[in-house]
Amino acid sequence: MTHVLHCHHYLTLYTQLAEDCAFLDGKKLLREVSEDAFFHILSDYYRKQGIATIADRVLIGEQYYAFSGLGQLKVACAGAGGGEVELLTSHLDAGWIRKFGKRDQAVNYVTCGYVTALFAAVFGLKPRSFSANEVASIVAGAERSRFEVVAN
Amino acid sequence: MSINRKKVIENLSKIDIGGNQEGLIPAFGVFVNQLPAVLWNSFAERLTRQVGLDLTEAAEFLLVNAAHECGYHTGYGIITSEEWNAVIAPMVEQVPEDILHGAFAVLTAWGWAKCEIAELVPGERMVVRAYDYYEADIVSYGAASKPAAYMLQGISAAFMDLAYGGPYDVTGQKGMRTFRTVQTKGIECGHEYGEFVVTKS
Repeated sequence: MTHVLHCHHYLTLYTQLAEDCAFLDGKKLLREVSEDAFFHILSDYYRKQGIATIADRVLIGEQYYAFSGLGQLKVACAGAGGGEVELLTSHLDAGWIRKFGKRDQAVNYVTCGYVTALFAAVFGLKPRSFSANEVASIVAGAERSRFEVVAN
Repeated sequence: MSINRKKVIENLSKIDIGGNQEGLIPAFGVFVNQLPAVLWNSFAERLTRQVGLDLTEAAEFLLVNAAHECGYHTGYGIITSEEWNAVIAPMVEQVPEDILHGAFAVLTAWGWAKCEIAELVPGERMVVRAYDYYEADIVSYGAASKPAAYMLQGISAAFMDLAYGGPYDVTGQKGMRTFRTVQTKGIECGHEYGEFVVTKS
């Protein structure tokens, strides 16, 4: 799997593009693209490395998020029915604030996709098994971003 | 050209871009991320193929614009970085042409594309050829009817902005978009290489 270096300008503009896209639901598209990309990476890694326990899978998911430069993600709780996730730091929120300033609405569709990918991979389910909603957001002034996850 | 591409690529490929304790990668004056190429490619491909033919051009413009801004700001960060000063600056004799050649060597070193400047008319026109780039990965079989290297289109124009568009402007209001790129060939279209022609806007 090829990984490429990009900057916060690129990700914030892709996110803005997804928001402003009047042609189709760009936010959903960005969430799903993110979920698909990360689900396959995480699932393949768990399978190839024989990572079987939920705790180990969650820890690796948190570490991979940080490796990607996306920030510090902590899974507060996770079950087959859903869970809660926090972002202590966020590449996208920090980049958005630097580029455009703060705003009321959450912007982290890529992390919504990452979180649903992580939950699906951790519990051995398929993509679209979970939905994530960003209920508190660093870009909106919260100390931490918070995502509520629910099984579909 | 006094830039030793091979040496630049060898030396810069050894630099480890690592995250800090907060999971962030501050470098070159920006926050860096290292995401799977399939994420970028899938978004661009699904967007441009789902919007409908009458809106494809508008969607493509926005994708190129994202890369243009990225290339302008990150490109400036690169050519003013410690790494640049250590590896490439000592080779620079002719400004800004050698800086441009060095910048495209950086593109190669970082895995965005194996590309080089094939033709350069200072201040006027540049032709870039890319022999391998991740945006071509959208096609695994056959050939696409439209080129899709939006990132390379934007980056190429941005580098010409930095070279010939006047002093760097952190707001991007001056100096950026003084050049534009047309992709004339693409590996994704079945060509041997991607070709990008950059001219004044």
